[in-house]
Amino acid sequence: MPSEISGEVRPEASFFKSKGRFHGIPGWIFSTDHKRIGILYLISILLFFFTGVSLGFLMRLELIAPGPTIMKPQTYNALFTLHGVIMIFLFVIPGIPSIFGNFFMPIQIGARDVAFPRINLLSWWIYIVGAALVILSLFTGGGPVDTGWTFYVPYSLRTTVNVPLAVFGVFILGFSSILTGINFVTTIHRLRSPGMNWFRLPLFVWSLYATAWVQILVTPVVGITLLLTLLERLVGVGIFDPAKGGDPILYQHLFWIYSHPAVYIMILPAMGVISEIIPVFARRTIFGYKAIAFSSLAIASVGSLVWGHHMFVSGQSDLASLIFSLLTFLVAVPSAIKVFNWVATLYKGSIEVKPPLLFGLTFIFLFSIGGLTGLFQGALATDVHLHDTYWVVGHFHYIIFGGTGFALFGALHYWFPKMFGKMVQNTIPYLSWGFLFVGFNILYFPMLILGWEGMPRRYYDYLAQFHTLQLTSTIGSWILIAGLILMFGNLFYSLLKGERAGENPWGSATLEWQIPSPPPKENFEKIPVVKKGPYEYERE
Amino acid sequence: MEKNKEEKFSFLDHRTYVLVWLVLIALTGITVSVAGMNLGRWSISIALVIAAIKSGFVLNYFMHLKYEKGIRLFKWMIPGILALLVLLIGLTFFDVAFR
Amino acid sequence: MNGNKDDTSSKIGMWLFILSEIILFGGLFILYAVYRFKNPSAFHLAAEELNRPFGTINTLILITSSLTMALSISCVQKGNRRSSLVFLLATLLLGFVFLANKYFEWAGKIHHEIYPDSPRLLERNKGEILFYGLYYSMTGLHGLHVLVGLGVLLFMGILITKRKIDETNFAPLENSGLYWHLVDIIWIFLFPLFYLIP
Repeated sequence: MPSEISGEVRPEASFFKSKGRFHGIPGWIFSTDHKRIGILYLISILLFFFTGVSLGFLMRLELIAPGPTIMKPQTYNALFTLHGVIMIFLFVIPGIPSIFGNFFMPIQIGARDVAFPRINLLSWWIYIVGAALVILSLFTGGGPVDTGWTFYVPYSLRTTVNVPLAVFGVFILGFSSILTGINFVTTIHRLRSPGMNWFRLPLFVWSLYATAWVQILVTPVVGITLLLTLLERLVGVGIFDPAKGGDPILYQHLFWIYSHPAVYIMILPAMGVISEIIPVFARRTIFGYKAIAFSSLAIASVGSLVWGHHMFVSGQSDLASLIFSLLTFLVAVPSAIKVFNWVATLYKGSIEVKPPLLFGLTFIFLFSIGGLTGLFQGALATDVHLHDTYWVVGHFHYIIFGGTGFALFGALHYWFPKMFGKMVQNTIPYLSWGFLFVGFNILYFPMLILGWEGMPRRYYDYLAQFHTLQLTSTIGSWILIAGLILMFGNLFYSLLKGERAGENPWGSATLEWQIPSPPPKENFEKIPVVKKGPYEYERE
Repeated sequence: MEKNKEEKFSFLDHRTYVLVWLVLIALTGITVSVAGMNLGRWSISIALVIAAIKSGFVLNYFMHLKYEKGIRLFKWMIPGILALLVLLIGLTFFDVAFR
Repeated sequence: MNGNKDDTSSKIGMWLFILSEIILFGGLFILYAVYRFKNPSAFHLAAEELNRPFGTINTLILITSSLTMALSISCVQKGNRRSSLVFLLATLLLGFVFLANKYFEWAGKIHHEIYPDSPRLLERNKGEILFYGLYYSMTGLHGLHVLVGLGVLLFMGILITKRKIDETNFAPLENSGLYWHLVDIIWIFLFPLFYLIP
């Protein structure tokens, strides 16, 4: 037994049934129970994911052939902007930390809840308000934003669409992120159960810890940047306006000082999920626990200093470009360390490719492709050709979707039994994985080629020579979406009709698997005293 | 209400607070008079250093940071945030100063 | 669920929030650093128009309010409810005077038609336009923080009056004090950067 729970486990009502001050829906949306809040995030985040997917579907439809297909250019600009804003700010950034971090981190450290349960609920409410404002901006003011999710000046200052409201919505969303970060750092420092020292923490918790620091420390920078953009539009302060002495490149600096580390907010928790899944399904302890733990911190810190690699062709100085390029190559190292260690964990393991592991392995494959394509962009000479082309679009979809997206799918399949007390029907995931994997690569690999051949990104129209690959990519999107429908359909079906799940269907060694499925409201009958590490499996 | 076991708080007596206040007033006076002198490019550094010293007093005494011995985190937060700001400004200046 | 109520945790939470606030202003300081570097004499010229004695008095006001804040907390810790309320009131008053001064300063500038996007300002040197853009943004954001701080402290005063804060439970007041001191520290940097450019 990896940990001893002192005292008996009496069957308690699951957190779904326990009664607080409110009943029914108020019992959920005013709950301070981290598990209920995790579910609230799950529902809202998935809703926005489906919205983002629909936008992507429409974009790909337009791009199936050159020239206008189903929409006008302005609509297309609004679509790719919204697709980005929704996917990044409403799906991937909150994604894994807010759903699985909220649900499982306290349990994994042996606590009953986070340090600030009411602030946790506030975080969700702020998320909803921010999202609502962004959605409202679609239908008010000058209409949906068309600047790209990056809101670059000077265009964002001049376009007549509803930039102020959209930007204000994103500003509000930032608070949700910061508060979650504060909550998680404090929780991990203060609420670990007896015996749960830092090096017995599951690696998922380490990844959330590093992520939380990034959330606290860099989100305010985009906060002030968006605030200044808002001020500029409302009263004309002139800080980014060259006519008033301002420097538009400074906008890019401030924007990317946040938005680059933001991609580490996106990927670190996903890597944490992979570190959880691999030991369980290889029945081996993780290879290089400390290396993985510290690499999360290294990625968070060095990754906060590479933002200029988004600006190689912006007009920034050559010296700055050189330095940012060097730092960018450095930050690839800790990520590579993780990949090596995961593979080493699998080596000579007793491997069972159940759905969580299948998604985990796919993560490693797709993330590696994405990471390697990033190196081409990190090198100055090649970036000059690749910047603002479809190569970049391919790159980040491989990393974010192939990486974080698939990790999230893996997390869903892995933790589903624990969250809902039901097993996922176990053949459909393989089928849906097939559609997802094939569709994903047909959708995104052509983009790498298109970019290499010079097709710019965010373009509504394109030359005839790019048609075949664009058509291929659109077909890929249909296959991918079929996979998503299958996968989520199966999960929903399993929610209603799945077999009852026991405490520990995967035979995992971390604390969340030592309590009932679903967990009771207080998580533990008695706070566990921890005596061993999180991945101690017996050799077969 | 739980009392924290590891934190033995020490009262700072009122005298200490008033002393710190006087130091802050004095440093403000120094800042203003230094501004009147012609120190060229050193003037901003001196102004920032004095501001940092004043902040140090507020942090350590008014905000009690010097006396928060129990929590290792507190010792590193301010140096850490300063290092981060220096890096952010520094890297930005590699662009702005060398175009 | 009361098991997680812990004064040290709430203090850590407040410090982490303070770190995020430092970075929030830090972004503006980055802009200030760059623009002052590129427009040194324009910044000097514009700074001369600001009222130095006024700025100095405001600095002294905030520093003193930090003192009264610290004393207020200290009195609560010693169980001295009445004195703590007096010091808290003093802090509120000083904060209010700071904001009033700010209002007069801004009103003065606006009366002279120096405000963002004003035709008069736009006639000037670009560096001066930037100076005032930063001046209004930074002192404005700071003033907003002072205003919020006053609201928080008022609420603390009510809690002390109702004995919800006393010598056995003073973490909320302590944490509010941390916020107030932060507001003071930010001004300690803003003051020389805007009023004392030689």
